[in-house]
Amino acid sequence: MTLDPTALPRLLQLCSPALPVGAYAYSQGLENAVERGWVRDEASAGQWILGLLDHTLRWLDLPVFARLYAAWGEDDPTALRRWNARLYAAREAMELQDEDRHLGAALARLLADLGMTEAEPWRSQSRVCFATLFSLAAARWRIPLREAATGYAWTWTENQVTAATRLIPLGQTASQRLLVAAGPIITTTVDAGLALPDDEIGAAAPGLALAGALHETQYSRLFRS
Amino acid sequence: MTHCAHRGPLQVQRPLYPEGEAVCHIAILHPPGGVVGGDELRIEASLESDSHALLTTPAAGKFYRSAGPFARQSQCLTVAPGATLEWLPQENIVYAGARLHSQTRIDLQDNAHFIGWEILCLGRPAAGERFTTGECRQIFELYRAGEPLYLEHGRYTGGEGMLDARWGLQGQPVTATLLCAATRPGLVEILRAGWESLATTTPPGELVTATQLDGCLVGRYLGPSTARARQLFTVAWRLLRPMLLDRPACPSRFWTT
Repeated sequence: MTLDPTALPRLLQLCSPALPVGAYAYSQGLENAVERGWVRDEASAGQWILGLLDHTLRWLDLPVFARLYAAWGEDDPTALRRWNARLYAAREAMELQDEDRHLGAALARLLADLGMTEAEPWRSQSRVCFATLFSLAAARWRIPLREAATGYAWTWTENQVTAATRLIPLGQTASQRLLVAAGPIITTTVDAGLALPDDEIGAAAPGLALAGALHETQYSRLFRS
Repeated sequence: MTHCAHRGPLQVQRPLYPEGEAVCHIAILHPPGGVVGGDELRIEASLESDSHALLTTPAAGKFYRSAGPFARQSQCLTVAPGATLEWLPQENIVYAGARLHSQTRIDLQDNAHFIGWEILCLGRPAAGERFTTGECRQIFELYRAGEPLYLEHGRYTGGEGMLDARWGLQGQPVTATLLCAATRPGLVEILRAGWESLATTTPPGELVTATQLDGCLVGRYLGPSTARARQLFTVAWRLLRPMLLDRPACPSRFWTT
């Protein structure tokens, strides 16, 4: 399937920071990493963000995303439940689970309001991931898998770079340099992630897990994760 | 214990009942000591309804350098309704150049209880050996009624950036996870306070945290020492056991031998 010209605006809409799900409120442990001095400039921000992109998204988020997308295409509620639950249980700190639940529920509400009735039950699920609803929108708006997965990885990366820009802080040009550097990594990560067999899926990032948990007791904080 | 079978080098020691007949303490032995590439160790345990077992190992698992094949370790533990499993093994030490695929899966049914940990040491820090080559995939999974509560799939490859990355292992050899299938409010604060008393002896680079996931409490250690990981997790276990299992902590006698 190639990207239909009418699907391109939908992909851009889904990936826009203006998508009203509240992603800007979450740093995924980056706020704690900055507090501890682990991330303090453009180079260390690149190591943190691009390193996680190349690891966690490659081994976990993107292969699960592909299975969620296929499950929406085949209308397979068992597979949807299973992969959504696996991704949620792989989030290694409370705030990382909360983030997925809040973003997932917010996107479910938006899609339901836009007439996508299948999103409705996910508004009130106790365990729901952003990828589950992102893949629903992509499948129904006829965005091909590869482009949809690239969009998911891009959205994640841009949100992290935006958080780093506010927290460190970084200049606008430095932030754009990070996004340029992310480009080829997103391409190889999507390729690898989409090709992964079931029994290879899974990741762990101990430093991220620690930062996520340490953020819970951080005294001064701008972000909810 | 009603049924016990073993084949190959793994052995189950005669069960002990130091707390009376309600709790069965069992040590699983691997007399050869080390494991080489191509070896496979499999442990399967099923706890029947309302039973209570404390499983441990008297010695660390050692995984030696391999020229090619992976060593495999698979531990599947099933806990029936009302039963309680405590899984308190010594650490796994993965020598530089070793290739290990290790999986520990706990399946809880209905209202079963679980406290347990996995401690992983990459390389041999005491001998100055870093994990510069080799491959280790460490899987630690907890399920309740078939639904995953926690899935950790560590992928540690010698020489890769994640071993030193801040988001990864931060240059530390020891990573460890404590799981407790509980959601009672305040447990995270109790663990943090309990660990506070050991903070004065914190070695450089060590981090320890607690977080409450949906259905599962998680403690995590990253640092230089398996002994520290055990010490911190034993403190956590001493605090959690009376609260969740209604029993005072009774250290396994195998730990001191």
